[in-house]
Amino acid sequence: MLSRLPLLLSLSIMSACATYNTGRVPVSTSSPTVQRETPAVSGGQRSQPSVSPAQENVPPEPVPESSREPATPASTLMVSVDDAIAAGDLERAAAISERALRISPRDAYLWYRLADIRYQQGQYTNAEGFARRAQSFAGDDRNLSQDINLLLSRISQASR
Amino acid sequence: MTELEPGPPPDSQHHQVTGRKWSRLKLLLGGTTLLVTVALAGWFAWIDFKIRRDFETLQWALPARLYARPVELYVGAPVSSEDVIDTLQRLGYRHSDSIDGPGEYSVNDSVVQLWTRGFDFWDGEEVSRQVELDFLGSHVNRLLNLSRDSEFPLLRLEPVEIAQINPDTGEDRLPLSLSEVPTDLINAVVAVEDRRFYDHFGVDPIGILRALLSNLRAGAIVQGGSTLTQQLIKNLYLTQDRTWHRKIEEALMALALELHFSKDEILAAYLNEVFLGQDGNRAIHGFALAAEYYFGRPLGELPLQDLALLAGLPRGASYYNPRRNPERALERRNVVLTRMLDQDFITPAENGEARTQPLGVSERSTQRGRGYPAFMDLVRSDIARDYDAQALQTEGLRIFTTLDLRIQNTMEAVLDGAVADVEVPAPPGSPPAPPLQAAMVITDAVTGEVRAVAGGRKPGYNGFNRATRALRQIGSLVKPAIALTALESGDFNLATVLDDSPLNITLDNGDSWTPTNYGNEMYGDVYLYDALQRSLNLATVDLGMRLGVPSVINTLRKLGFDGDVQPYPSVLLGAVNMTPLQVAGMYQTLASNGFRSPLRAVEAVTTGTGERLARYGIATEQVADPVSMFQLEWAMQGVFERGTARSMLNRLDRRLPLAGKTGTTNDLRDSWFAGYGGDLVGVVWLGYDDNRATGLTGASGALRVWSDIMERLNLQRRQLVAPAQVSWQRVAAEPVHTESARDCQSPLMLPFRDDQMPPPAVNCESRESLINQLFDRFRSL
Repeated sequence: MLSRLPLLLSLSIMSACATYNTGRVPVSTSSPTVQRETPAVSGGQRSQPSVSPAQENVPPEPVPESSREPATPASTLMVSVDDAIAAGDLERAAAISERALRISPRDAYLWYRLADIRYQQGQYTNAEGFARRAQSFAGDDRNLSQDINLLLSRISQASR
Repeated sequence: MTELEPGPPPDSQHHQVTGRKWSRLKLLLGGTTLLVTVALAGWFAWIDFKIRRDFETLQWALPARLYARPVELYVGAPVSSEDVIDTLQRLGYRHSDSIDGPGEYSVNDSVVQLWTRGFDFWDGEEVSRQVELDFLGSHVNRLLNLSRDSEFPLLRLEPVEIAQINPDTGEDRLPLSLSEVPTDLINAVVAVEDRRFYDHFGVDPIGILRALLSNLRAGAIVQGGSTLTQQLIKNLYLTQDRTWHRKIEEALMALALELHFSKDEILAAYLNEVFLGQDGNRAIHGFALAAEYYFGRPLGELPLQDLALLAGLPRGASYYNPRRNPERALERRNVVLTRMLDQDFITPAENGEARTQPLGVSERSTQRGRGYPAFMDLVRSDIARDYDAQALQTEGLRIFTTLDLRIQNTMEAVLDGAVADVEVPAPPGSPPAPPLQAAMVITDAVTGEVRAVAGGRKPGYNGFNRATRALRQIGSLVKPAIALTALESGDFNLATVLDDSPLNITLDNGDSWTPTNYGNEMYGDVYLYDALQRSLNLATVDLGMRLGVPSVINTLRKLGFDGDVQPYPSVLLGAVNMTPLQVAGMYQTLASNGFRSPLRAVEAVTTGTGERLARYGIATEQVADPVSMFQLEWAMQGVFERGTARSMLNRLDRRLPLAGKTGTTNDLRDSWFAGYGGDLVGVVWLGYDDNRATGLTGASGALRVWSDIMERLNLQRRQLVAPAQVSWQRVAAEPVHTESARDCQSPLMLPFRDDQMPPPAVNCESRESLINQLFDRFRSL
């Protein structure tokens, strides 16, 4: 199990990022600066994905009501994802994650969650694909990147 | 003795004979009676058995229903108020000044209020709510829950039904349980068809007598004597035969039905079974489907007068068809209302109010358009491996597709005219040419979900589906695969200087091949990125031959192409046949930065009651290295800024960056454009079915059609995060081979892999600038 510390850290770092982020500037032929993304869920509540071995299915810990920030579409859907995981319906959880991704397709965290669900289902090719997609959007978020790398190594171990 | 014995007197003999005859007759009669009784009993037993067997297992063959992707509403959703209103109309929502119930909406400038019906999606229920949507331009600006007066995050409208797969019988229905049927409808049906329904035992002698009397009085048949039970039997067994034998059999069946089943069960079956109209080759059965077909709304939302109209239809669905015979239908409706009043089902006030209302029938069945034949082809092939035709026609499956009606309908509205605008008329004196044809595929750039398909220039018509079946050479659409092969090899970069000059390639069979540039011009030394952006053939073949044709084909495969291709050098100029759908599959991988996600048209299949049977989720696999993909993306964005698509620069300016590639084949037979923004990938093909020349290049034909459509779709700009291993370096504006010729006056900034340097002859990075750059990178951390 991951401790909750990296998650809290990543949350605080991301909210800090959001304050000086200059917004999404596309790749341009004239301004070759490296662009960073604001994750769409960064303001909302983040629940911790299960990174337990594929066989186990550990529901996420509930987050106290008071700590909840205004709900975004993605954070609202992530609550439903957690519910579906808790109910043992991983396919439904995957479907809701995909729904969230259609709304926020560049949110690294959502890709990461989907990767984790596919990992738990034993779909390692997809799990790896989603984790790498998460990585491609993770930008400055070092904690998330760490989590993604951890997941990637678990996937690679499991699929061996 | 014998002699003495008198014979039987003639009388007695007669009597004896008569008696014997009589007893034989009696025997015969008795036997016949017995036989008849046994036969009748057998007949009745058989009928009784048949009724129980058939009715207990009564299962209608239900067509599979296909749904478009539901409209998602949230703050920032790229949906305009027009889009939402269009969807609400397709869903049969009623426009009203005050909203009193589900299925109604009101509009006030940029504010739309609605009461949703809710929908039990397989991945979660969407509850019915009263909401207010505030729009700003083509986006949702605010979402308010009216019952709680608070903002809320998101909402899904019910999915619009786009098609169905009908059983061979052509029968269609939406079965309801009795509790879902409005009481007014039940009362109306009972009042007008069988007022003694709850009192008789399947056959109604009093009703027959009454009917007989009214018919005699009128001198014509104005009333039928058959009960709802008898009508149900007639409908179930589809008997057209009106002989006495059939009538008796029906009566016996009705008796048997009443013996074994409750009034409610019989009524529910009747309400779902009865024939109420014909829609082309689709037979409308049952009141729930009739409500949708005639009014475009669920039965539960219809007012009294509309329910009365439906209740009048069983008598003659064609004769009283409200679309074709509105006056008769109105008259019939009011007869139903009068009967309801006579039997105290409604008050005089309700009757008075209802009969003054107009017919209220919708123009056409709102849920069903003329269909999306090209998209349906995709759906069929997607689910064919899991479901056979029988299951699709009879099990009432719900198929949730990826079709986006806003995108499909916009494309359909624009395509034909856009093609007409670029079509080159046949020269005067030449025989008239067939119309220039087109195909288009639009997919979600992230998920690979197919959002819209046109199989021809007039997409609503069923015909040859060019999007999935027309195999055409792809021309220069192959070039990004060559550039990617080069970048991934590590031996090339965007500033590699290629040679755009005459080439002569000897083929395996000894023939020689001399490719040329479009317009036969030559450009000498060119940068790799420039050869791609301006689609230079000679430089590309030069590069491709250095890489080897098989490695280029390998890249095509990685990008998702699974068709046939021969490893000839001409592949380097696009001598490979693909359908527009296959091209879309390949460009999908480019649009998602090297993650291949197979195209999908179906997201999930459920039973008629919503239980999940199958789900087809996003699949993804990284097939190209992120730095190479980033470099390729940079080059392809330049296609719009200074390459073959620059004619659209001014028009698409505020949407840039976008990425794409033109494609033109020999003798201008095919005009292609494949391009993508942040949200969508679009592929357009133009050409003639008989392969004659179009007179169009990719830029003068398909690109313009693509722009006409993608602009209307509000295509989003590309957004790309540069991988950490990318470094930007200065390169001389002009490609040269010697350092002495290098001109670093106004250098270009190009993305390189961080362990690569620009070729020395064009490298404009000074030591100082390298330090600055390092410092910049440090600062950005």
